[in-house]
Amino acid sequence: MPPAVVNPLMPESLLVPPSSSDSVSQGSTLENRRFGDLRGLQWRINLGVLPSSASVDYLRRATADYRRRYASMRRHLLVDPHTPKRGSNCPDLVIDNPLSQNPDSTWSRFFRNAELERMVDQDLSRLYPEHGSYFQTPGCQGMLRRILLLWCLKHPEYGYRQGMHELLAPLLYVLQVDVERLSEIRKLYDDHFTDKFDGLLCKENDLSYSFDFRKSPDLEDEIGSHGNDKKVKNLEELDPMIQNIVLLCDTYGSEGELGIVLSEKFIEHDAYCMFDALLGGAHGLVAMADFFSSSPAAGSHTGLSPVIEASRALYCLLSLVDSPLHSHLVDLGVEPQYFALRWLRVLFGREFSLENLLIIWDEIFASDNSNVEEGPDEDIDSGIRILRSPRGAFISAMAVAMILHLRSKLLATENATTCLQRLLNFPQNTNIKKLLEKAKSLQALALSSDISIPPSFFGVYNQSKSPITRSLTLTSETVSPKTPLNLLPDSYWEEKWRVIHEAEETKKDEADKQVPTRKKGWTEKVKFSIRRTESDPSPSKVQGSRTESKASFRRSLLQDLNKALSSDEDTEKMHCLETSNEQDNISVSVEGEGQDGGSKDNNCTAEDRFLSGNTGSEENSSSFTDPVSPPGEVNDHEIYSEKSSVASNLSFNESNEDSFSSSNVPPLPVSSMPDNMSQISGCSNDITGNSATVSRERKGNKVGWFWKFGRNNNEVMTEKGGDASEGTKAGNGSSKSNTTAAATCSTSSSVSCKGDSADQNVMGTLRNLGQSMLENIQVIESVFQQDKGQGTSLEGFSKNILVGKGQVTAMAALKELRKISNLLSEM
Amino acid sequence: MVLVLALGDLHIPHRAHDLPAKFKSMLVPGKIQHIICTGNLCIKEVHDYLKTLCPDLHIARGEYDEDTRYPETKTLTIGQFKLGLCHGHQVIPWGDLDSLAMLQRQLDVDILVTGHTHQFTAYKHEGGVVINPGSATGAYSSITYDVNPSFVLMDIDGLRVVVYVYELIDGEVKVDKIDFKKTSSSHSAH
Repeated sequence: MPPAVVNPLMPESLLVPPSSSDSVSQGSTLENRRFGDLRGLQWRINLGVLPSSASVDYLRRATADYRRRYASMRRHLLVDPHTPKRGSNCPDLVIDNPLSQNPDSTWSRFFRNAELERMVDQDLSRLYPEHGSYFQTPGCQGMLRRILLLWCLKHPEYGYRQGMHELLAPLLYVLQVDVERLSEIRKLYDDHFTDKFDGLLCKENDLSYSFDFRKSPDLEDEIGSHGNDKKVKNLEELDPMIQNIVLLCDTYGSEGELGIVLSEKFIEHDAYCMFDALLGGAHGLVAMADFFSSSPAAGSHTGLSPVIEASRALYCLLSLVDSPLHSHLVDLGVEPQYFALRWLRVLFGREFSLENLLIIWDEIFASDNSNVEEGPDEDIDSGIRILRSPRGAFISAMAVAMILHLRSKLLATENATTCLQRLLNFPQNTNIKKLLEKAKSLQALALSSDISIPPSFFGVYNQSKSPITRSLTLTSETVSPKTPLNLLPDSYWEEKWRVIHEAEETKKDEADKQVPTRKKGWTEKVKFSIRRTESDPSPSKVQGSRTESKASFRRSLLQDLNKALSSDEDTEKMHCLETSNEQDNISVSVEGEGQDGGSKDNNCTAEDRFLSGNTGSEENSSSFTDPVSPPGEVNDHEIYSEKSSVASNLSFNESNEDSFSSSNVPPLPVSSMPDNMSQISGCSNDITGNSATVSRERKGNKVGWFWKFGRNNNEVMTEKGGDASEGTKAGNGSSKSNTTAAATCSTSSSVSCKGDSADQNVMGTLRNLGQSMLENIQVIESVFQQDKGQGTSLEGFSKNILVGKGQVTAMAALKELRKISNLLSEM
Repeated sequence: MVLVLALGDLHIPHRAHDLPAKFKSMLVPGKIQHIICTGNLCIKEVHDYLKTLCPDLHIARGEYDEDTRYPETKTLTIGQFKLGLCHGHQVIPWGDLDSLAMLQRQLDVDILVTGHTHQFTAYKHEGGVVINPGSATGAYSSITYDVNPSFVLMDIDGLRVVVYVYELIDGEVKVDKIDFKKTSSSHSAH
């Protein structure tokens, strides 16, 4: 029978108490790792089958007790109709014939068992084919079958569910490993296992009592040759662990053979008891059997089956730890039970190889299963009941750690099917130690933090797309993600942009209404202009609105990044923002009826704001969106007022670009001179200010570049769109810009369309971005040159001077742009 | 643990219209692994009904069977036992044990199942076991008075066969049991 059993590696961390200061794990560590080397024994203690802190004698007695119980139950339940019932000489054949419909007859019970057995066999035949040398042997299969059958007969309310065999198999396996370990030890310390009197030769003609304590000669030779390096004569001299094992397996200890704790004969009995304790929860909180039932547990508030509740608790924990990932999954419609069902029911048995699984189960079982909080049940949302015991918390934490491990892949996918595929095909070569460490930290979080889940949380899952959760990412109350953003690849932002864009389309009207009142008057004025120009719709306007929204979401992207990277700067910029807002307000009010110019200025300043990241006129920047879509404007307001800009990531080169773009505006006819001046002066201020800023992290810079290019693309596009929608251009310049704008609009919209597709290659998008950038540059250059020759500006000579100054800087910026776009296309 | 149902001589629709209700309630699909039918069903519908009880169905041709494709005799092996099947109207005198024993030797089987007499019998003699399941519907027979509906269920388990006889007497189902054991070289009853 003993086949080649692969001995799993025991990581040192398990044998040495971890240095974590968490009291829960510490306490459990000391107690629950007494026999860390012998998993079968250790797990029996952890699961509650054996008393945890007990003497050897007590352990043996407990072992014998449960074995006896199992044996009697087996005799009782496993019925063989051929053997006559005890005590009845002539069984009533009318009842006891094979075709009898009587449910009490032995035959009906036999047939019911046969039915169950058939179901169990279906699963057993497919159990662990990769370890088939052990699991597919008839002996092992017979044991598994009997154990499962008996448990199902004992618990008819659960019946046999697929997956129970996967829970049982590793239990049997560790017991087998233990027995083999025992035989190894036996070989080494044979002296202590056999009684001195065993095999004693009794000389017949020896009438007096003269016991010869030396063993028979041949045995002695063996021992002499074996134990050359282990000449331990006394039991007390042995390593305490070995000592324990010897005492536990002594044939003559308490309860005799039945009490030998690691015994090959009683593997089935032990496995059954472990299985029973695991499924029944052993008076703890987490009972695996609950995960197999489809009806809601007693005392459940949500009226859902326990496994669904546990999956939700999982998502709860995930939302605490990593809210963007959580909302991403929720938006895609990936309900937790799709993958969590398999994870929880089999305790990750299908996700890891057997060796790794044993390590994970060590940790799971080491966590205590008792209910930590004794608070009243009514006011705690029972959906997270599972989190209230350390074991349940660890299981959920393990699942969340696994999800986090796949974070980048999950965020990269656009549809639920791929997400599920990724989750259900967990990569085989993951670092288990890291996962376990992460899980332990999350377990501490789950147990310690005051988890108060709003009832609306569970209502979220009722909708297929829940925009409400999306807004979490946009408000400033989001919990900062625990995973450091340094680990995120660049592609993360691109993908996130696409995801956000999709969500944005649906939730346009649900933007947060954080528009400060003082801006309202200004918005009214701008709205006037919108209405006036509304009669002149153009396709570019529509596209502009779309790209407009994209731009706003890109901004939100950037905001997230900025928030994580530099919170201090943000606060600074907030201040600057405030001051600049006031400044802008004044300038805007001065504008009077110069709507077009005002909006254009606002466009220009908007660009400044984003690209430079300095205070600029953020209000105006948002206002530039107004001509296109009032709700979008409100959106932007909210975004900008909350978040600071990207300045930390942008070098002063970008500010040159701003100035260039700002100077781009004046070529188009501007009605209000003073506004323009103020704006441009503001721009120049920005430029000087920006020259002082130093780009921070390289990585952030890179991301900023991407964003900037995309933004620039959108900005210029929308600017053109806005201009086009104005319809108040002066003469050729405006018309030309219109056409060019339309061209750029189409190109960039095509770009964005491509970007929307789920399977967009990241590099492709970057290349496209670069190309569109190039096109934009060309367009701007051409416009620029046109404007040079144009003298139709309403402003006076001061403006011309400014234009000239702006031109120089603009050319420089253009060159810079060129370089960057070349880089991009190379990438 | 192989359950084999042996029945025959139903004579549906000529002499009887259906199995007795109590028999029908006992015969549910899923429990029985083989059905051996001595013949005289007589129509295809009965054949189909028996097929629903168990897909493994063996029939020998009776003189009133409307399907002419059934064989006159049939042999099959179940577990350690060789079973022989014949309707029995070919063996004269009808129901004579010695003549049936001759047929058994001829077919070289341990258990011979025949019918036609509409009377349940189970003999054990030096060669083996001869079983007559009687008529499952209690159809009229010119050679037997007071025909009671009966059929036989054999539980073949290794070298031992337990024969359960189900008879409908006065509206009640009576069950009886006979054990037969087969030794490797010779046969012996319990």
